[in-house]
Amino acid sequence: MTLRQKKNFSGLLFLLPVMIMVGIFFIYPLIRVLITSFQEWNVMGGSKFIGFENYTAALTDDEFWLTLGNTIIYALIVTPMIFVPALLLAVVLKKTSRSSKFFRTIFFLPFAISFVASSYMWKWIYNDTYGILNYMLTSLHLISQPINWLGETWLSRIMVSIMVSWKTLGFSMIIILAGLQGIPNEVYEAASIDGAKKSQTLRFITLPLLRPTLILALILSVAGSFKAFDHFFIMTKGGPLKTTETIVMYINKVAFEYYNIGLGSAISVLFLIILLIVSFFQLKAGGFSNE
Amino acid sequence: MSKKTFILLLILSLFFMIAIYWTVLTSFKPPEEVLSYPPGFITANPTLEQYNKLFTTADSIFLRYAGNTFILCGLSIAIVMILSILGGYSLSKLPFKGCNVIFLLVLSIMMVPYQSLLIPLYDLMNKLNLLDTLFGLSLIYATYFMPFCLFMMKNYFSSLPATLRESALIDGASELKILFKVHLPLAMPAVATIIVYVFLATWNDFILSLIFTSSSEVRNVQVGFMNFATSRFTQDWGLINAGATFSIIPSIIVFLVLQKYYVQGMTSGSTKG
Repeated sequence: MTLRQKKNFSGLLFLLPVMIMVGIFFIYPLIRVLITSFQEWNVMGGSKFIGFENYTAALTDDEFWLTLGNTIIYALIVTPMIFVPALLLAVVLKKTSRSSKFFRTIFFLPFAISFVASSYMWKWIYNDTYGILNYMLTSLHLISQPINWLGETWLSRIMVSIMVSWKTLGFSMIIILAGLQGIPNEVYEAASIDGAKKSQTLRFITLPLLRPTLILALILSVAGSFKAFDHFFIMTKGGPLKTTETIVMYINKVAFEYYNIGLGSAISVLFLIILLIVSFFQLKAGGFSNE
Repeated sequence: MSKKTFILLLILSLFFMIAIYWTVLTSFKPPEEVLSYPPGFITANPTLEQYNKLFTTADSIFLRYAGNTFILCGLSIAIVMILSILGGYSLSKLPFKGCNVIFLLVLSIMMVPYQSLLIPLYDLMNKLNLLDTLFGLSLIYATYFMPFCLFMMKNYFSSLPATLRESALIDGASELKILFKVHLPLAMPAVATIIVYVFLATWNDFILSLIFTSSSEVRNVQVGFMNFATSRFTQDWGLINAGATFSIIPSIIVFLVLQKYYVQGMTSGSTKG
């Protein structure tokens, strides 16, 4: 074996474990879900191809559209609630000092806590009888009656989103901070020599230069909200009347409660396609395709 | 930072911490105080009663959940570590024809949510007899948490000079030895990032454990905690808050100790990518 062949051989050998894992636990399931989405699946064994029937069933299924709509509405509510404060905090905490390090840790800390624990922590705060939120608002005379925070559709969407914002905005903040620190200081110096105001600097220098980072943070946060499961499963159980049931909750229900593998697979594939399209348009908006 | 911003940030931090404080406080309150109204913002008689109940109920099953999760974390960290160290070295120092295609394939895992592959994964685990086992679950964790780690490891090794490998090669060292004796000791920050990233993702996982395990002997702490919290007719908030406090301690400790590396890894991932 020549030295070059030897090098290629070791390269292949070292990458082999990754290839095996990815092949078994990613490529194979990906192909399988595509196949089963065109099949009628019998739990007792045996399956047959039925063309697009599962897809027609999914697209005429009210609960599919309802849960997809719920998920999109939730993504629209929660994204600005994560993004705007994260951007503001990143701008304020850009300069490294002892106090800014301290605040970064505080705002990033809830990210380490699981969705399950966060959900219970906030459910306790929101509790209608014993919750601290109702207590504080009534003692400040802002409300006269305790509110059932997770009992109404729109209110529960907002209250869950507040929890998610608390938990995840630190992560977006860290990504945006990294982007901010990547902008060279000379650019700002040049702007200040030209007499740019603070608001002008933000509008014409920081935001345009930060666009790729902002888009990345946005994609991560939008994709995350499309995959929402844990917190709705625990905080609202999809209620009231399925109005906070997300698409992943529905996939889970169709597949593992109704055992409708064909329909579940079709919805999974549709969910996957939707998520890829959403990410693609965000990438385009960020100008990644031009660079 | 002006004084005004500082005070605003301080108030905001208080709001951020109040959720955690409230849970920790409730967990140390005696049962009769938990449901008292108006709620007390401190307690005069802190007690470990809730924790005692948490750890002794149902043959200390909660400790079992925690133990399972530590095993899962250890397994998935070990597997991800092996995959991304070997793979990252191969991609950066021993590139071969077609290896970029494989790399792109691995990166595409980050775009495809595993939530859309639950059905075929369940079927696969069933066929491999890996359903309801800690090892099987950790294989899934490893596959889906690995892409980011491989990406980071590759970047890290790429930043080390090529002469490092060449001079060791002249000394007659094997490729494996060059990786573990020469390159890996220099890549410890990346190793630390992998540990904290995989630990948090594994410790905090809910949906994968919910679907791929069913018996309480192999449940992880998040699903176990939810079972615990919902298994009674009236929710026992003292017990729930003790469970929440206990379940967040490991992730908070790991996060605070290794925070620097987590931020470094995220940062290099988001700017170099």
